Amino acid sequence: MTRNRATPWFFLTPFLLAFVAFFIAPVGYALYLSLFIKKRSGFGPAKNVFGGLENYVRAFQDSDFLHSLLNILLFLVIQVPLMLIVATALALILDSVKSGFAQRFFRTAFYLPYTVPGVIAGLLWGYLYSKNLSPLNQITGLKTDFLSSGILLFSIGNIVTWTWTGYNMITLYAALQNVPTDIYEAARIDGASNWNVTRYVKLPLLRPALTLTGIFSVIGTMQIFSEPFVLRPLGYVPDNITPNTYLYLAVARDGNFGYGAALAIVMALFTFVLSGFFLRNVRGET
Amino acid sequence: MKKVALKSGALLLSLALAASTAHAADPAFPKGPTSPVTLEVWSWVPGLDKTVTAFTKQYPNIKIKILNLGGGPATYTKLQTAIKAGSGAPDVAQVEYGFLPAFADTGGLADLSKYGANDYKKYFVPWTWGQVSPDGQAVYAIPQDTGPFAMVYRDDILKKYNIAVPKTWAEYAKAAATVKTKSNGGVKLGNFYSTFAPWFMALAWADGGQFFQRQGDSWVQTLNNSSSKKVLNYWNDLIKKGEVGTLAGFSADYWNAAGAGKLATNMEAAWGPGGYAGSLGTKSAGLWRVAPIPQWTAGSSVKSGNWGGSSNVVTTQSKNPEAATLFALWLNLSSNAITADWNNGGLFPASDAGLALPALAVTSKNPSKFFGGQNISSVYAQASRGVNVNFQWAPWFPFVNDNFSKQMDKMLKGQLTPDQALDAWQAESLAYAKQNGFTVK
Repeated sequence: MTRNRATPWFFLTPFLLAFVAFFIAPVGYALYLSLFIKKRSGFGPAKNVFGGLENYVRAFQDSDFLHSLLNILLFLVIQVPLMLIVATALALILDSVKSGFAQRFFRTAFYLPYTVPGVIAGLLWGYLYSKNLSPLNQITGLKTDFLSSGILLFSIGNIVTWTWTGYNMITLYAALQNVPTDIYEAARIDGASNWNVTRYVKLPLLRPALTLTGIFSVIGTMQIFSEPFVLRPLGYVPDNITPNTYLYLAVARDGNFGYGAALAIVMALFTFVLSGFFLRNVRGET
Repeated sequence: MKKVALKSGALLLSLALAASTAHAADPAFPKGPTSPVTLEVWSWVPGLDKTVTAFTKQYPNIKIKILNLGGGPATYTKLQTAIKAGSGAPDVAQVEYGFLPAFADTGGLADLSKYGANDYKKYFVPWTWGQVSPDGQAVYAIPQDTGPFAMVYRDDILKKYNIAVPKTWAEYAKAAATVKTKSNGGVKLGNFYSTFAPWFMALAWADGGQFFQRQGDSWVQTLNNSSSKKVLNYWNDLIKKGEVGTLAGFSADYWNAAGAGKLATNMEAAWGPGGYAGSLGTKSAGLWRVAPIPQWTAGSSVKSGNWGGSSNVVTTQSKNPEAATLFALWLNLSSNAITADWNNGGLFPASDAGLALPALAVTSKNPSKFFGGQNISSVYAQASRGVNVNFQWAPWFPFVNDNFSKQMDKMLKGQLTPDQALDAWQAESLAYAKQNGFTVK
């Protein structure tokens, strides 16, 4: 009896050890760190003093941090839907292409940007955004400064869309490939047009995949860091353009580990709530 | 000066005797340890290993282990972590002047005055010592390289528009207007680096501007000092008239404009010319020259500021601080080492005798070659001697640095006047310093 009860635990141990070491422990440490505030008395090294929830109170009063969250909400309202609509459209088109070569070619072509690491993508676009060298400016004869703080968020959104649309398209395309063809046949026999098949068969069947890509996009959006960070030397990028850049600077530049940890915890909760909200709404529609 | 130069000239000629004579010109260094020790050194100077070979020949008891972390924020994070952790820090590390106070504040840097460092103060260019020993007693580092300010300019463009090299800021403003008119706005006389606070601060530094001052346990911060306001108003005026640009430093846009002849001058540190030679390659090669930065008062001696440069610290974790101090002194005072560091890494020396080093005057190699074979080092040496001695940095400078870009962005958009931008810079940085526990006025 006892042996039987122990057996699953025995097999679970490697996973549990890794889970505790790489998930529970860091989160616990972050929670612990977040309770300390940086204090200094005159000259000399700063001390970390227990401050209770002071860091959390500061986070919710920190207009810079709140602004960075607003930026993210803007991203979620504009960039994520736009990217998913384009990805869905591309997946549907690819799915209806008959030629195997064209299908393989476009699948690879659209996916390619995703294989470029975020930092490299940032550098690449950094060149394309140069005020005087940008091909877009050369063609149109305009002098748009893509890195000016008015449109910077959109320039970053463009990089993110460029990188991730192909990735999302592949997920959606794979979901379409899994749809049994007899469903389409049944629809055709019932007299459905191409548009009707897309609207009433393909799109509803895509819903689970769309939910998945949606959730990943929400989480990915919260984590945007390398794109704005790489653009920093090329122009003025505010410290608080995204929550991640803001909390990185709190730790790496200011050495304020406690506040950085508190910001990270707040962000994790924020992500959790947002993804939950997203999930509920998507399910609610069904 | 002249005597040193003559001596150096003789050095260059007598190749066979060069090594021994070079040592004769060096100050007497402290004695090396009697038993073998190993020193770990963190530095991003290219070719440092070659320099060190000469050191170990002279001090066979000291073994040097070099770790090149490439410099930049990552290096500092690593050093900061090692200091915080209490182990893993090297014996000697390279730190830029602006970041020294932040490290001194961690308590992780050894006070080198305990190992006789103050005896070597006289061998360094005076202002560099002020950077490593703000209160004149404790010594947090040994100065290594410097970035005194001079003006690089396109000789061909100034000649084309019939403009003499501006010696004062009034002449510079006049030249800026002339260039704009004669080129129909196609060429700008200069460029304002709106995202580099130390660049702007070097210009105010040249005018005697003081941004931070430690007073015992507390600090005084005056980012909106009168020099700062004077300098920023001057540049903002030229920017608004479209006579100077605001391209980001080291960006593709900047190098393109500089190479294509769309920019006639810029204020650059002593390490800057190497970047011009490297980034522009053959584009506009030989057309550039270097002159002292324009002055506010005509006919006065050349006053300059400094941008960048670094020093060598010894950490409190070092088990052989005497040997580490000896190494730091030798690395920055022996003519052997500073010659190698100039040739391999373009480090502009902080040593007083180093400014007259024969290697610096070689004009057949880059960067001098790129600057039309001009002895540009002599211009920079003159600038270094004109740098204000009392300038200090504060431990919260990294924040001040980023906040500058924010205020400049608002100023360039016309949301703030230069004075308002500087006042906001001062107010936000002060609030930040206080929030982080500093006693600041």
